[in-house]
Amino acid sequence: MTWETVIGLEVHVQLGTRSKMFCGCSTAFGEPPNTNVCPVCLGLPGALPVPNGQAIRLAVRGALALGSAVQERSVFSRKNYFYPDLPKGYQISQFDRPLATGGRLGIESPDRGPIEVTIERLHVEEDAGKSLHDRVPGRTAVDLNRAGVPLAEIVSGPDLRSPAEARAYLTALRQILVYAEVSECSMEKGSLRVDANISLRRPDAAGLGTKTEIKNLNSFANVERALDAERARQRALLESGGRVEQVTLLFNAATGQVRPIRSKEESHDYRYFPDPDLPPLVLSREWIEEVRAELPELPAARRARLAARYALPAYDAAVLTSERAIADYFEAVVQTGTEPKAAANWILGEVMTGYNDAGRFAVPPARLAALIALVRDGTVSHQAAKKVYVEMAASEGDPRETAERLGLLQVRDEGALEVWAEEVLAAHPREVERYQAGEAKLLAFLTGQVMKRSRGQADPKAVQPVLLRKLQGA
Amino acid sequence: MSAAEVARATCARLAVADSRGLNATLAWSDAALLAEAARVDALPPGGALREVPIALKDNIVTTEQPTTCGSRILEGYVSPFNATVVERLRAAGALIACKANLDEFAMGSSTEHSAYGRVRHPLALDRVPGGSSGGSAALVAADVVPAAIGSETGGSVRQPASFCGVVGVKPSYGRVSRYGLVAFGSSLDCVSVLGKTVAEAERVLAVIAGLDPRDATTVDLPPLVPEPAPLSLAGVTIGLPREYFPADLHPGVRAACDLAVARLRDLGARIVEVSLPHSKYAVPTYYIIAPAEAAANLARYDGARYGARATVDGDVRALYRATRGQGFGPEVRRRILVGTYVLSAGYYDAYYGRAQAARSRIADDFRRAFASGVDLLFTPTTPTPAFKAGEKTGDPVAMYLADIFVCPVNLAGLPALSLPLARSEGLPVGGQLIARHFEEARMLALAATLERHLDPAAEARP
Amino acid sequence: MSVSAKEVAHVAALAELAVSEAELPALTAQLNRIVGFVAQLAELGEPGAAEPYVAGPEAARLRADEVRPAALARPPAAIAPEFVDGFFVVPKLGGMEQP
Repeated sequence: MTWETVIGLEVHVQLGTRSKMFCGCSTAFGEPPNTNVCPVCLGLPGALPVPNGQAIRLAVRGALALGSAVQERSVFSRKNYFYPDLPKGYQISQFDRPLATGGRLGIESPDRGPIEVTIERLHVEEDAGKSLHDRVPGRTAVDLNRAGVPLAEIVSGPDLRSPAEARAYLTALRQILVYAEVSECSMEKGSLRVDANISLRRPDAAGLGTKTEIKNLNSFANVERALDAERARQRALLESGGRVEQVTLLFNAATGQVRPIRSKEESHDYRYFPDPDLPPLVLSREWIEEVRAELPELPAARRARLAARYALPAYDAAVLTSERAIADYFEAVVQTGTEPKAAANWILGEVMTGYNDAGRFAVPPARLAALIALVRDGTVSHQAAKKVYVEMAASEGDPRETAERLGLLQVRDEGALEVWAEEVLAAHPREVERYQAGEAKLLAFLTGQVMKRSRGQADPKAVQPVLLRKLQGA
Repeated sequence: MSAAEVARATCARLAVADSRGLNATLAWSDAALLAEAARVDALPPGGALREVPIALKDNIVTTEQPTTCGSRILEGYVSPFNATVVERLRAAGALIACKANLDEFAMGSSTEHSAYGRVRHPLALDRVPGGSSGGSAALVAADVVPAAIGSETGGSVRQPASFCGVVGVKPSYGRVSRYGLVAFGSSLDCVSVLGKTVAEAERVLAVIAGLDPRDATTVDLPPLVPEPAPLSLAGVTIGLPREYFPADLHPGVRAACDLAVARLRDLGARIVEVSLPHSKYAVPTYYIIAPAEAAANLARYDGARYGARATVDGDVRALYRATRGQGFGPEVRRRILVGTYVLSAGYYDAYYGRAQAARSRIADDFRRAFASGVDLLFTPTTPTPAFKAGEKTGDPVAMYLADIFVCPVNLAGLPALSLPLARSEGLPVGGQLIARHFEEARMLALAATLERHLDPAAEARP
Repeated sequence: MSVSAKEVAHVAALAELAVSEAELPALTAQLNRIVGFVAQLAELGEPGAAEPYVAGPEAARLRADEVRPAALARPPAAIAPEFVDGFFVVPKLGGMEQP
């Protein structure tokens, strides 16, 4: 039996602010527990929230990057539930009047090629704290440093058709949010979290099947694994004539299994209502347009422009635009007059290896351009240039000086080449004889011997004419 | 007098009030008051409230003394920060005299719902002082302090002011910072003032009013500058909303109001009848919105981070339920349950949605009345003078109806005050003036004019 | 509309409020009195999509993104009923699952 998989994702990203959503506490990661706290985020009696304007600006930026319609009037609501790391007994969020609605994200589906995923809504809210179960034996320890950190929740439509597609969506979403500097989107630091909804249906079905929700997904790989596991579970259930129950599931990364934590009947009754401590969030059209004007060129547009303008293969353009910094680096190199494909090759090779390891570019664009120029004019061989690059990355030197210091400049001096050529011809009389008898392929052997004698420093393009002259004259 | 002398005299009066059994205070000490005096002496000269002792309702947080909100659940809780109101009072040279008793979390109209015992009416110990700011009102009425800070959610300052025969001023919502006022119904809560006279209350209000960056619901307005009381009320139109003078109004209250209206007329005011037809829905509207907000506002008292914690041998849910079950008194529990109920799945539209719509209509009525050329509205503050302790504790709704004339104002967010008009069988009767948004200064000036022509100690005979 | 004892128990559970079996009947009666009283708003007809009435400012004032935590006169350890190694401590979660 064939089943169509239907997946929608709810993604929480931390908005990249210095201070929390409703108070002046720092959002710094990794501080000692309960040190970034104040009356507001501790939920002390009498404390009141005041919204962080930068959080709103970043959320609006994210919404605009996703093509969402930013609402001129939205409302903060209280989402009521009890939990040890929720200090006020409610979370300030947005409910029936979110900051932004609608929108779409174009992605490359591994199964279906380019598709558009609907964005249903984007709203802002505060994060909860952290409950730890292994700090105090038999007790729950609570750290409220995270409580009140600003988040944007981005809800996709049920448009994803496979776990791999869900992962592709997440990759594209993270890329665009990092580009627009909305969020750092680091799953390790908890600044990006995912809940996934999944259901199965017959390909010809009009409606959707019963969905389940998977929580606690802490990496993109685990999103895919969890959805794979849940898809298999639902399929087995349906094919054996059973029914899918609407449940909330928790993914265990260690076992690769999902387990139900509550049924629909047990689902929370959050009793949302407008937060009376916060007047409506009113944004003027002009202000929204001002934020739109701050948006950088987004990944899809930049990918298309790079491919067209620099005549790059799609793959190169995609990798170069995977991060804004890489694309900026590429364009800085090209701006010096470097041939784009050569620049792309270098960046996709040596540069990216170093960048991925160090998280930064060790060689400034102008120096890479200078190195590429040395290869182009034959001063350094391509092989030698890679060694020069590694040394430049370590010592921050100039390419020519570095090549010289390493003795990697190619020798094109006629005198030196002639000495090496004569030595080689003298050392290989038999091969010279055979060449002169018509075995032309021996020229390559002799060239190789010259290169060897020069310990790689001779410019191979300059060696052949010298050899030919000597062979003819001999 | 030096600040220290003021402090010692205040202590003496507080001791007398306590010995009379008023039970109006929850915390005060000689040491704390003398420390206040030392702090005032260290201030540069000046200060609008220099050396004025002021009582604080115990739902306003202070770092030196406990803030209990009259609840077991905050027994012994000392706030790590001060309310904005406290900072402003202190900067103006005032001495914080004591923390005043109140209905638990300001939920009540008689100050019988304090976990620390009921407050007695200073003029009739078997009666209630009104509530929820009953302690603050009793302390002013008993001449312990010239002024006190209270709070209103649905009339909790005007109603006890009326019962105790003092002035109670509720500013416009947004005029005074709520930062440090322990939340009950956040869209209604208003730090308010009780004073012996209109001028006394106004002086305090002028100090505490103003934008606070820590309260997003405060409004950015020019400072509240007291206006001189005019000699006549010529050119002033006073509206009498007919719904506030029902046929079954207490005769003593009616007589006192008639007397006040006659004075207003004598002073040259034009008296017109107006209608506020939706005000009759104010109490039911209030008893949906305030409990809904309260249920969320009181969720934080769970024994996890501060306050009282029940001893339980179970999981965190057992801790929550026991702490909250034991920590909250009956009225607070009722309101939490009602508030949770009206917001729960399937009931939101029928209750909360309807209450929001009703609230808008109630506010529209006021807007229309003021748009018709009325400068101030005059009404009785309460349907009866102070009632006997225990009289209404058996029926929550009967208690709620004690606020029928005051709570529409809170729903609309308007400024209003109660001032003593006369007595009925020896008990004070208050009259209410209601003004347009942020027209406190004019309201207070006109009230001061009326005040001069009243004899609140005299009996109003029906 | 009337509120059943079962509903009162459910609402009490939502509010994490212990209500004993013994007090349930009286509490149910009181709640019915209150809910019956507030239900008179039905006289006003259907509310439509009512925006909450805003008594204060029309629009939220936004704060600058500056790290300026409000000071605490005493640290969390001094106000917490149980505080270990920098953490607030409560009993184990038991049946309580993350939201």
